[in-house]
Formats: sequence, C-alpha cells, structure tokens
Amino acid sequence: MPYGYHGSYLRIDLTSGAAEHVPLADEVLRQYIGGSGLGVKLLLDEGAALLDPLAPAAPLVFVFSPLVGSPLTTSAKFAVVSKSPLSERINDSLASSGFAIAGKGCGCDAMMIVGRAPEFSVLIIDEKEVRLESAAEYRGATCSATEAGLKARLGGHYRVASIGPAAEKNVRYSTISHDGRHAGRGGSGAVLAAKNIKAIAVSGTQRTEWAHPAKLTALSKSLSKKSFGPATAKYRELGTATNLLTFNRFGALPTRNFQSGTFEEAVNLSPEQLGTVRSKTRKSCMACTIGCEHIYSNGDSSVRVEYESLFALGSLCGVGDADAVLRASQRCDELGIDTISTGGTIAFAMECVERGWLDEPWLTFGSSDALLRAIELIGTREGLGNLLAEGSRRAALAIGHNSIAIAPQVKGLEIPGYEPRALQTMALGFAVGARGADHNRSGAYEVDFSDKVDRRHVTLDAVRHAIETEDKAALMDSLIICKFLRGVFEDFHAETAEMLHFVTGWDVTADELRETARRIVAAKRQFNLLAGWTPTEDTLPERFLNAPLSSDPEAVLSRQRLEDLVTEYHRQRGW
Amino acid sequence: MHVEFLSVPRRLAGTSQVEIQAESLGQLLTTLAAQFPSLGNFINEDRLHPSFVASLNGDQFVSDPGTVLGEDDHVLILSADAGG
Repeated sequence: MPYGYHGSYLRIDLTSGAAEHVPLADEVLRQYIGGSGLGVKLLLDEGAALLDPLAPAAPLVFVFSPLVGSPLTTSAKFAVVSKSPLSERINDSLASSGFAIAGKGCGCDAMMIVGRAPEFSVLIIDEKEVRLESAAEYRGATCSATEAGLKARLGGHYRVASIGPAAEKNVRYSTISHDGRHAGRGGSGAVLAAKNIKAIAVSGTQRTEWAHPAKLTALSKSLSKKSFGPATAKYRELGTATNLLTFNRFGALPTRNFQSGTFEEAVNLSPEQLGTVRSKTRKSCMACTIGCEHIYSNGDSSVRVEYESLFALGSLCGVGDADAVLRASQRCDELGIDTISTGGTIAFAMECVERGWLDEPWLTFGSSDALLRAIELIGTREGLGNLLAEGSRRAALAIGHNSIAIAPQVKGLEIPGYEPRALQTMALGFAVGARGADHNRSGAYEVDFSDKVDRRHVTLDAVRHAIETEDKAALMDSLIICKFLRGVFEDFHAETAEMLHFVTGWDVTADELRETARRIVAAKRQFNLLAGWTPTEDTLPERFLNAPLSSDPEAVLSRQRLEDLVTEYHRQRGW
Repeated sequence: MHVEFLSVPRRLAGTSQVEIQAESLGQLLTTLAAQFPSLGNFINEDRLHPSFVASLNGDQFVSDPGTVLGEDDHVLILSADAGG
C-alpha cells in the first residue's frame, strides 16, 4: 500500500446495516488518485450509471485524497460523487475543512453509502463503529443548526456534513454542507435525503504516513509562503465577488436570464461597494493559508459572499438591491440549495412570466420580494416552488412554448456566471462538461481572459486550451488541492508530481499526471455514456446560438462554430 | 491614453482610472509602476506579473511590451484569474 492512503474504502449499506472495509488496489489509487477521480472509478465499479440516483441502491461516495491530513495548504478537502438527480449524469462536488481530516481519520480513503435507513437518521462513523441514530429532532433544521446540535450531542470532535430542509423536500439541486461550505452543485443533498439520512458525523484520528516527511514539510512551507503572494491576492483581498465589476466591464456578466451581458446596478453588488457600508470578516477553511471567504454583515446576521451567488441571485434576476441579494444568498445556505441553480431557475421563470408563458405575475425581474418569495417556495416545494425545485430544464419541459430554448442549462445543470457569447472558449467548456455547465470543471474562461484567443471570435485553436484547463481541473479535484492555489505554480504538473511523490513515494512524473487527468475525464465520460449520454447533449441552449448578445453586437456564437468546436474537442479527446 | 483599473489593481492603485502618455505597453507599465508604487510588486520592469493581465479596448488581451498603443486607446488592467 502506498503512503498517504489507508488502502480501503468503507462501504455502508444502510438497508442491511452492514459496514465493511473494501480494499483498494494500489494501481487503482495510482490511476485515479482520490477525490473526483477515485469517486468516479468507484461509481463505475458499482454500476451507478444505470441506477436512478434517488433509488436506495444508488451509491453516494465521500472521497478523500492522499494529501488530506498533510501539511500542504488547502489539502483539507473532500469530494462528494454520485449520479445527479438534476442532470442524470455524473456529479462530483467538492467541499472543504475538518470533515475531510476527521473522515479520513476513520481509517478509510472513501465512504460509500448505499441503501436506505429504516428511519430518518444520522449516520455516525468513528474508528470503532458505524451506527445510525434518530435524526427526528433535526427534521426541517438548517445545516448549521443540525451541525451545532450534533456536535453538542456527540461531542465537539465530531465533524458533520448535513442536508438542509430543501433536500428533505427532494429539491433536485440541494446541497450537502459542512462548516458553512457546500458540496453545492448537482443535488447531492437530495441523494443523501433519499437514503433517509439527515447528516453524517465523523470522528477519527488515524493518520497515514508520508513517504518523505521532511521534504513534504519543506515543500508545504514553500507552498504556504507562495500562497501569501500576488498569485492569490485577488482571493485574499477581495474574494471572488470582485469578478462582478470585471465581468460587467467586459460584457460577460449574465443579466436577466442571459438577455444581456451588462447590469446597470452591478456596482451595488460589488465588494468595493458592499465594503463601504458593511463590516467584513475573513475566514479560511481548515489547513488553508489563502483565506478567501469574505463574510459581510447583513442586518443582524452575516453572510459569505461569492461571485456566483451575487451573479445568480443578483444580475441574473435583475436584482440590484444588495440587502436582498445577500439575504437571498443566506436563505439558500439555510435551506441548503445551490445558489447558481436557484438563481438560474428563478431567472428562467421570470422570463417565462415576462413572455406570458407562466401565469405568476408577481415573479418579475428586479423584484427583491419576488426573488425571496421564490426561494422560500422552492425550499418548501409549495405552489410554484414545486416546479422550480425541479430545475430549469424540467421546468421548461413542463411549461412548454419551446421555453427549453431559454432555460439556462447544459445537461440540466444551470450555467454559472460567464456569458458564453462573450467568452466563447468557456462556451465550449460548458457544452462538453461531463456534469453540465460548470466553471469548476472547466477553467476555459482563463483562456478567454488571455492573449491566447479572441474571446468573441474563437477558432479551433481554442480547443486544446479548453482541454488543458479541463484536465488540470480534473487533476486538482483528485489530488485534491484548491483551485485558488493554481496561480502559485510555475510548472503545475512537475510541482504536483513532486508533491504526490513526497506523500505517496510513487515515482510519478508530470507526464504521468497528464495521462491521469485524461483518464479521469474519460472515466466521467464513460459514466455518462452508460447513463445514456448522446452527442446532442454537448451543446448550449438555442438562446446562445446565432443571435448576438443584446449588449454587445460583436458577441455572436454561431451554431456552426460551436458544433465545429465540439467536434474538434471530441476528435482531440479521441472520442 | 486612458487606463482603467479593475479588481486588485484598482485596490492597489487607489483609483479606478488614470490618463497616461505612452507609446507601447511596456512603456505604459513602467510609467504605472513609477506613478503607483503599490503596483510595483505586480510589474516586473515592462511586464505584468502573471497574476495580472492587460486588455486593449476590452477586445484583445495583450502581454508583449512592444505592443504599440495609440492616443485613443483604452487599456484595462485586471486580475488574471477572472474566475470564481
């Protein structure tokens, strides 16, 4: 068994109550590393692609990595991998902090959960046993309340990942949350809820050894030092929210359900403005030296502010009232729903109302009250919320009028805050993404913000760049290290190969990691193929094709150009 | 020409925009480093640190110090990692 691993995963069958350690072969660990990569491999072996994601037999796996528990900055992360109830395709969401360390400390490299608990339960895992306890008292509770309650009940050394009230109502984009962070996209919360599990509490102190501890410590110190430097200044100084004004300036800020790329009230939502009227604190995940979390006061409470939440609940819904947008973000966290899918689905519904396709006259762009009301309805599935809780793709199919053309999604997953017509390498990244439109699985926007392409007139040359960012993301999500660290590496593959060598002892090279990344991306595709993927899914909604962006006549993405890009992507992938 | 700062560059410069006389990108950056010492860590002689990028008129991104600039050009300086 290599260093850095326990060499097994814990497979828990909630129906039978059985829990067993299943050995992981060395070659599997080397080929898939951990996190997303290992998670996809385990799901493939389990036959998960063919299952209803909400069926008891469908596996949900929490995956750690060889770096978890090491002194490497940002390494306290875990992946939650399952088939998505939103997209019916692969879903790998990542979150951070103590759950990763305590979970791996239970003596396993991953925890796979199958079956369904006989009653609404908390799954408790420590070094001695796996058991279920009643979660009746937490029914309907927020993630933070559940976490606090369980720590008081079980002991402060337990780390808790839980679902909010929305997952209990089977909202298809509900989250699993831990310590204020969220495995946010794709609806893993609904998968856990379908297993009758409110929360998982873990406590463990088993440590793995490192192959070269002295060298690893020296590397960790060097990496931490770099993480204080200019490459992470954006995250440290302003947080991701600073994207808002930048994207607005470049006409790439999705506004009113992608009808425009600029928002006239963007400045209201910018961190530069928020910081003038609110107190702000910064917070870090465990074992992180960057400190990207910017938490603003909002009335009597406080809320973590991220670009994706500001865009989705702000400009995308036409809402420029900062108080309302922060409140909306806070309610999404409390209910346990993905802010991007929430905002995307509400904005879609607002446009349907505008077009007369949906008879909900209160639901208008720019209305703070409507935004907040819609979020509450989604969280409880009451009234219109029952439709919106299904996500924009299913809602469009129910509404009709060919509204699927304006549903802001790819493979059912709502599009994050990057206007595809203004950022066309990213348009390709969205179209081919295994889990749907996503900025964490494709960093192609970085290519658009560089001199490598003309972002509004990309050519086939952009494809190799898009592939590079997708492969790099797959590697970072499997190692696992935070993407906010990506700028500190001068030679990413060589440096991460050295990192992995110091931890595991493998004589791994940069080229091997490049091959590993391609293998992981291919495994995700294999999962999707088994789940029913067809080439027609690798595209964008009609809205984005042929017609120029209203705010920028030069931002036109023809259907032919996107098709050519996708075809070239498949060719270069060898698919 | 007109220079506009966004994100971290704006925070460091302490202003959102400034007028600068320069004939090339390299000359512009050298002038900015002198005029805004807080930007110094992000400008290596006549080039931007990799964590910053420059856009010419919001259309194309430029990095070659020899890039010729015109009097009416509008140069945007922003953080490179524009994503979230």
